[in-house]
Amino acid sequence: MTGRAEAILITIAATIAGAGVAIVSHATTGAITIDALAAFITHLAAFTGVLVAVRWWAPSATRLLLGPVALITAVGSIEVFRIDPDLGRLQRWWLILGATIAMAVLWVLRHRGLEVLRRFRYLFLAGAIGLLLLPLAPSGWPLGGATVSGSRLWVRLHLGERSLSFQPGEGAKLLLVVFLASYLADNWRGLAAMPRSLGPLRMPEPRQLLPVLIAFGVSLLVLVYQRDLGASLMLFMVFILMLFVATARPTYLVAGGLLAVGGALGSAAAFDHVAVRVSSWLHPFADFAGSGYQVAQGLFALSYSGVLGSGLGQGLPYLIPAAATDYIFVAVVEEMGLATGLAMLAAYCLVVAIGFGIALRAADSFRALLAAGLTITLAVQTILIVGGVIRLLPLTGITLPFASYGGSSLLSNMAIIALLARVSHEERA
Amino acid sequence: MKQALRPVAYALLGMIGFSAIWLTGVQLRAGSDYREDPRNIRAARAPADTARGRVITADGVIVAEDDPAGGRRYPLGDRYAHIVGYDAAAGRRGVELTRFAAMRSRDDGSIQSWLLARFGADLGPPDVHLTLIDAVQEAAVAALGSQTGAVVAIDPRTGAVVAYASSPGFDPNDVVTGLVDPTDDAAQDRLLDRAGNRLLPPGSTFKVIVASAALRSGITSQTVFDDASEYVPPGGIAIHNAGGGDCITGSTITLEDALVVSCNVVFARLAVDLGARAVVSAAERSWFNRDLPWETGAAESLIPGADSLDADTAALAQSGLGERDVRATPLLMAVIAAALGNDGLAMAPYVVDSVVAPDGEILDVTAPATLDRMFPASVVDDLLTMMEQVVERGTGRSGGVPGVRIAGKTGTAEGSDGPHAWFIAVGPIEAPTIAVAVLVERGGSGGAVAAPVASAVISTWLAYES
Repeated sequence: MTGRAEAILITIAATIAGAGVAIVSHATTGAITIDALAAFITHLAAFTGVLVAVRWWAPSATRLLLGPVALITAVGSIEVFRIDPDLGRLQRWWLILGATIAMAVLWVLRHRGLEVLRRFRYLFLAGAIGLLLLPLAPSGWPLGGATVSGSRLWVRLHLGERSLSFQPGEGAKLLLVVFLASYLADNWRGLAAMPRSLGPLRMPEPRQLLPVLIAFGVSLLVLVYQRDLGASLMLFMVFILMLFVATARPTYLVAGGLLAVGGALGSAAAFDHVAVRVSSWLHPFADFAGSGYQVAQGLFALSYSGVLGSGLGQGLPYLIPAAATDYIFVAVVEEMGLATGLAMLAAYCLVVAIGFGIALRAADSFRALLAAGLTITLAVQTILIVGGVIRLLPLTGITLPFASYGGSSLLSNMAIIALLARVSHEERA
Repeated sequence: MKQALRPVAYALLGMIGFSAIWLTGVQLRAGSDYREDPRNIRAARAPADTARGRVITADGVIVAEDDPAGGRRYPLGDRYAHIVGYDAAAGRRGVELTRFAAMRSRDDGSIQSWLLARFGADLGPPDVHLTLIDAVQEAAVAALGSQTGAVVAIDPRTGAVVAYASSPGFDPNDVVTGLVDPTDDAAQDRLLDRAGNRLLPPGSTFKVIVASAALRSGITSQTVFDDASEYVPPGGIAIHNAGGGDCITGSTITLEDALVVSCNVVFARLAVDLGARAVVSAAERSWFNRDLPWETGAAESLIPGADSLDADTAALAQSGLGERDVRATPLLMAVIAAALGNDGLAMAPYVVDSVVAPDGEILDVTAPATLDRMFPASVVDDLLTMMEQVVERGTGRSGGVPGVRIAGKTGTAEGSDGPHAWFIAVGPIEAPTIAVAVLVERGGSGGAVAAPVASAVISTWLAYES
């Protein structure tokens, strides 16, 4: 694909964003407001900015990545605007900021490339752990934790009268993947060696299993202290899958699976909020007014979508709790139909396939693991939240990459795209 | 170390793909359940759902339709009140209730309807076509007039109900506007569907069933009985004839003449002689004590069990006259008359002929179905011959139609505020096309009050049919 085609795709996505916002504002207020133009310009500017940055600082990178990402972002931002215009306007600023972060990442890496990341691996690890622990800081501090709907995964930065909230977990996932890619690239041989056997399973030296146990420990910690099932599960799956990619040893999948099942059963028994998630997954209508309400409302919304949806502004997506964040996919399907939902899933498949393609062609194991880890992060997050809202899996509250409202999420995912582009550029480095 | 990349990539892509399949499955499989869930308030808002099709008679008259101003309207007022019913804020009733879903637009936003629309189907609200014929219905309502009662007319060949009237009536438009409150005690008498749900002693119309039991036992229409002025069943009070004296001049009377003049003494004694088992099984073959399937629901007609009648000869004698604890609906009596017009084979009564989409596609059609064999074919001719004489020279003379051979039977059942008048009829005897049952509560004698109503309905039908 040529560079021009990518620019055209970005323009189309921006046009969709503008047209969608125009339809929403006309349907809800009877007039097409300046928001439509603003949405078009924001999307066009943000992705053109990233496109230009890639051309300047990673010119050999694939030209496939930005198109599907721009489409997902456009569809998501329309529905966010539909659910709450104020959130939609904020999301425009987050998009600008996200694009700026992506450009900054490309700029930082422009001369010395990804080797820089490798050198500071333990700094990244420390940063990730620090970010994960940050929400536990007392609320009174200038940079203090905050509890939102039962989960303590927010940090509020107090700037005089104002405050700015963000989820440091989103940044932590990125730093952890960079650390793991770098660590595993140097140590995968030791982890892959399986000198011992336990029944039919080949086992590595016990000390080599330490990283798996650390992964499990960190996930459990996140679960216990922050009551964040989604992030915990996602981090754990990313760890295990990266270990498997690095070593190609099914032992890690089996061990990870066993730990996950044990952890799930144990935490369901130990923590009410986990047990409630499972029961509202299996029987959402048993406690309709209580714990099953969100899942049930999501199913009601899906039942009224049909192939082409109720039409923008014609549905009632805001009846679902957390419609603009966790449930953005269902809100999109309700108003824009099964067709749009399937198109979005196809776009995610494209992003994931392109990401793995970059990993397969990467110059060395660090870069391959980095690209794979970043792609796995996007894929696992998508699967967990889409599966949760359509009641394929228990619902875990995480954002849908690029589509959900949320600054932290959009910023870290845009950075992932920049890193993927850079890995792609360094193919022949 | 890249060999594990592909399996992981395929697994993750496969899971996203499976989510797509699952999402489609949710909409295909469970979509309609969640749509219908009363807690899903989207249903209250969905504009496509409020449009509904029309209810149309077999002769093309619109009985119920959407009011452009909102809600339903009933252009003919009270004429179809008890069968078509109403759809109002206060509730739904009649065909408006039973076919509510069928008359809604088929475009429910589902994948199926989207595909159907792509293939050119018109998913607009379907119409319900009734078997009722407005001309006959109008005649039935007019003939009943201000009398309290009911008329049911059935095509014996198919079971299609062509008239179904109950009086007093109400205007369903008044229920829509709130003028009539269906929960109001004072409104219950007018709301009652007397055709399907009024249970009264059928009186002498029941003698047709006793006569059928007699014919089955070997008695013929010319078998001779004593013509006495009274019969005292063992342990009971005396039964007299309607006029007080003997039934005819002379000391004996044939079964045919006993039916023609509705001779109580003969039929009371006949019931006792035949025995409780024969009388009750003849009644149960005619669907007494059975739940008659009917679009808007019908009460079960009743006769006491053979054992209890066996032990109480006086009750058996009175049951032979359709009195005491025997109860019938006009609907069942019409089905019985129709069975006589169809060689003894009763067809299941139905009132909805078909459900038709705006583009003419037939979505649902009622195929005529056999209900049961009520009478052996061997007794039907004798019964019709005797019943023809009832109309020709007996108590049912005012139920006739000039130039047409009609078989009929009158009934005058005891009631606390005056006798209930009954008449059942079927004709033309050569090839019956219409069966009618008429009930006029506290109206007087069946021959004087109910028979003329049947006559008006039959002649209107015959005029319509030709």
